[in-house]
Amino acid sequence: MTDLHTLSWMSRKPEEFHMITDEVHHIVSESPIKNGIVLVMTAHTTTGIMVNEGLPCVETDIMDTLTRMVPEDNNYMHAHFLPSYGATGNNSVGHIRSMICGNHCIFPVKDGKIICGGAQDIYLVEFDGPQTRKVYIQVMGE
Amino acid sequence: MIIDMHIHPIYYESICGDPNEEAFRSKAFGVYKQAPYGYEEMFAEMDYAGVDKAALLPLDLTTTEGGAVVTNEQIAKIISEQPDRFIGFASVDPRRKDALEVLDRAFGTLQLKGLKLNPAKQHFFPDDPIMKPIYEKCLEYHKPIIFHAGLSWEPNAVTEYAHPLKFERVAIEYPNLRFCLAHFGWPFVRETVMLMIKYPNVYADTSLLYLDSPEASMKRLFTIDMGPLWADRALAKQIMFASNGPRFRQFKLLRGLKQVEMRDDTRQNIYYRNALAFLGEEDAYD
Repeated sequence: MTDLHTLSWMSRKPEEFHMITDEVHHIVSESPIKNGIVLVMTAHTTTGIMVNEGLPCVETDIMDTLTRMVPEDNNYMHAHFLPSYGATGNNSVGHIRSMICGNHCIFPVKDGKIICGGAQDIYLVEFDGPQTRKVYIQVMGE
Repeated sequence: MIIDMHIHPIYYESICGDPNEEAFRSKAFGVYKQAPYGYEEMFAEMDYAGVDKAALLPLDLTTTEGGAVVTNEQIAKIISEQPDRFIGFASVDPRRKDALEVLDRAFGTLQLKGLKLNPAKQHFFPDDPIMKPIYEKCLEYHKPIIFHAGLSWEPNAVTEYAHPLKFERVAIEYPNLRFCLAHFGWPFVRETVMLMIKYPNVYADTSLLYLDSPEASMKRLFTIDMGPLWADRALAKQIMFASNGPRFRQFKLLRGLKQVEMRDDTRQNIYYRNALAFLGEEDAYD
């Protein structure tokens, strides 16, 4: 048995952390599925799904590290006109940071609740905003 | 203040809803894999970039393709909904029998601020005699023209029609007609500059981003394709900031432009004063 939900959110900056912990826990608590797993997955290739401690200093350190690892000023091959889009692909930074961050997370569900550590917040992370973004949340089990 | 002088609002939710029309726009304009978005999302990008206003451009393809990539009426609808953030342009297919009536309505009734033409896509030479009444109508209403110039990515667009050299006779014959060679006529930047230094009524915009990052593209335009002092010395009152959204992202092009060294006075002209002058405001440089 599965139960699929979609969250929508609009970022307002090129890089942005958006915590979705409460929404995901609420969906699981309301789901008819009481035992199994929940999958949280972004619908995009320039965003990430991250599980980490929900502190501004941690967010800053993570984004600073990603920026050092994947700087804006680099000779990315994606920086050219793409006929399949009719637009120029100038978001390699977003693609690579998304790849490092990962695009999904999974938690166990027991008795209608997510089983997780106390510091495990769930984030949708924007790497190529501002844009409207979607996250799929699928509860699977019985 | 910053004004973006080149936006195609083909995915604005306010004028979307008809799947056939959206498919026509996508195919005729050659932009794919994008979905309609609301003003909130557009304004989020403008606000992040620090852009105050944007010029919205339609394109009338009545006789060549049987439709329009956004109509004058749709532009007027958007302007009526968001008058503080957008500047509405008109378009007309020069081969329409009612072309002058279309312009009278666009400039008179709809109060649109200028005309957008794409010779490459609409298949006419700018110096063709059929254009004479169109140019005279623009002069009658004191309206400027933004011409697509240089490479056009749109399907069935022929670059020869939009080569910068095809505009010189227009500049000679209509010295009071302000017109912009969009995209700096890329890749014919030197030819565009040749016209600009000879004819003060010829403008160009910065919406080119075909082969590099925004930073590299703007650096190349202002320091290689042009000499590094040309904008300050000779072109300070003829270059306008423009992004060509949704092909290129506004804040990224602006980020690239900000890295180009130039006098602050020139930069402010490019950001907004030249756009105001192009649109006909007499106190643009006060």
